[in-house]
Amino acid sequence: MEHAHSTRIQEFIGDPVSDSPAIGREEMEEIFQDIQADIRFDHELNGCLNCGICTATCPAAHYYDFSPREIVQLLWTENLEGIYDAMQEKIWACAQCYTCAARCPFNNSPGGLIMLMREAAIKHGMESAKNVLRPFSRVMLKLISTGNQLSPDMINADGFPDWGPNISKINAPLDILRKAIPMPTLNTTATAWEVNLTTSVELYTIWEETGVLDQLETIDENLYDVILDIMDEKREDLADWEDEQA
Amino acid sequence: MNNGNGNNGERFTGHGPEWRDSNLSPDDARTATAWVEQVINKRSMEVNKDRVEDVRDAMWELEKDGEIVVHRINDEHQPRIAKTIYGWDKKIPTNQLWHHKSCGQCGNIPGYPASLLWLMNEMDIRYLDETDQTSCTAWNYHGSGIGNIESLAAVFLRNFHQAYVSSRAQGLPDGYFYPLVHCGTSFGNYKEVRAYLLHSAKLRESVKKILGKLGRLVDGKLLIPEEIVHYSEWVHMMRGDIAERQTIDVSNIRATIHPACHVYKMVPQDAIYDDNILGGNRVAVSTGIMESLGTQVIDYSTWYDCCGFGFRHIISEREFTRSFALDRKIKVAVEEANADVMIGHDTGCITTLDKNQWIGKAAGKDYNLPVLADVQFAALACGAHPYKIVQSHWHATATETLMEKMGIDWQARKAEFEAYLVEVEAGNYDSLYDPRLAITSGPGFQPIKQLEKTEQS
Repeated sequence: MEHAHSTRIQEFIGDPVSDSPAIGREEMEEIFQDIQADIRFDHELNGCLNCGICTATCPAAHYYDFSPREIVQLLWTENLEGIYDAMQEKIWACAQCYTCAARCPFNNSPGGLIMLMREAAIKHGMESAKNVLRPFSRVMLKLISTGNQLSPDMINADGFPDWGPNISKINAPLDILRKAIPMPTLNTTATAWEVNLTTSVELYTIWEETGVLDQLETIDENLYDVILDIMDEKREDLADWEDEQA
Repeated sequence: MNNGNGNNGERFTGHGPEWRDSNLSPDDARTATAWVEQVINKRSMEVNKDRVEDVRDAMWELEKDGEIVVHRINDEHQPRIAKTIYGWDKKIPTNQLWHHKSCGQCGNIPGYPASLLWLMNEMDIRYLDETDQTSCTAWNYHGSGIGNIESLAAVFLRNFHQAYVSSRAQGLPDGYFYPLVHCGTSFGNYKEVRAYLLHSAKLRESVKKILGKLGRLVDGKLLIPEEIVHYSEWVHMMRGDIAERQTIDVSNIRATIHPACHVYKMVPQDAIYDDNILGGNRVAVSTGIMESLGTQVIDYSTWYDCCGFGFRHIISEREFTRSFALDRKIKVAVEEANADVMIGHDTGCITTLDKNQWIGKAAGKDYNLPVLADVQFAALACGAHPYKIVQSHWHATATETLMEKMGIDWQARKAEFEAYLVEVEAGNYDSLYDPRLAITSGPGFQPIKQLEKTEQS
């Protein structure tokens, strides 16, 4: 790897006060290669003079030990150890608003680069990714199995106690309130809108062909199994319907 | 806590060990901040860059070379021309629209799309709202990292191909309906993905195989939309027509605008600006319609900040989301701008800014500032039912105080809606369009002939 050879070399990186095994340079190189290989990398990283305008305007920098400038610098200088270290926690702080990208005089996209690092963290099955995404699994289940990210029945006072005692100010059963929305596609409770069965099955093909299911298997095997079962079931339903039409 | 540098104890982190506090005096800090604010409050801050390209040039080249088919905005779509930040033209179709719904709006703020469709009915705009659409999947992607450029591109192309062929179910020609994207994140993501598709032959080749498998190519080629259009752009271009239908005087309303990051910070060269709207220094959508309706649009110092949504944060790191929403947006809108309402144009922002205010009471931050989408406010001003159409009961904040200030008898309208719910329970409920149109293929599809416009509405 041309780029990586020019960086400061440290054979292993590890935490001296932790029992976690040190990480070999080979793996760090592989991670960086994966980040670099994405077609977006060269569009999103064009240079950096450390001006810090990205960090000055970054919402996450208000609350977390996080700086988009630092992320850009690590990638620009190909600091493999620093990149690996940032992938343990910092990259998950980013709020993905792209304010940094809009403001960067070099047209860098620190927010976009962070997405490449998150994808790499998932591909390499990093514990940081598994831990951070555990509470997000319900959303992923909904999206991957139905094609809708959010459903009305996910939003309730138990799940969101900080949103107040009433999700609706008018007290009526959810299904009645949903039927009172004058758009027939929205008379649903388990999906945000009614998604055609053929549409969901088309989406499954996209997940399979683009490696999204592999990502999911790496990060959460149980969720992966549940989703495969749902996909099989829906595909059978569609096949039955097609047989009926024949 | 005030640490003497005038920023009330707030400080940035993550700068690394070389970071040293400047230790400016409060006066010097104020002077420095004022200088920075003057600079960043100008449109020039956004446009002083090299290498900005109009990706549509590459699109037309690829079409000329026979590599792609472009879904054009034709005269039948009754386009109006907007100016983007660099003064480029952007064609906004105003009729024959395919609603690309938002999962967050439909799941959580249903009055958002319902208000849009209601306004379209008022203006005899033809449209299609159907079941053959998926989420753009970008909320999940930006929150989790599950997904990739190929999956995002394939989802984009599948949905937009469906928009192109959806008219077949009514016996109409391909391309009749043009996609109108409701969600700001879908809008930003699709624009970014379109640019990568136009630049990368490798990406085109890989997704072409997938789209081919799905039967989603046009003459064996990928279908790319001429423009990617957000609903707020439609509202903006129709603002005069909407204002003509206004029935309620809203000149006493002080409105603050929260511009959505993914609407104007992602692919910023495509965002609409107008020299007559806040001096052309802010994205024009939402401010334009609020000014046309006659409200007082009040500028505020943190207009540029995001809402705090964070994609994953609103689900699993809510302390960040609520702190940012309250301290950087709502507090400023109330204390600095003395606002009656905060108006947005994106799914996550409306949810974040509305839902996260209730918990503020625990910290003595009981602002209760009503938060609505521009199109919901416009529908209210044009006489839409606040519950049946605008569905204001899903909003946690005090939309009632706003309605009182607008002169709407919300208690009477609420009672009407509660009576309507009894009808709904008995199986009698209304629709803004013929429900048969919502299924265009697959299970549940019933072929029907093209319906006359009057029948649709």
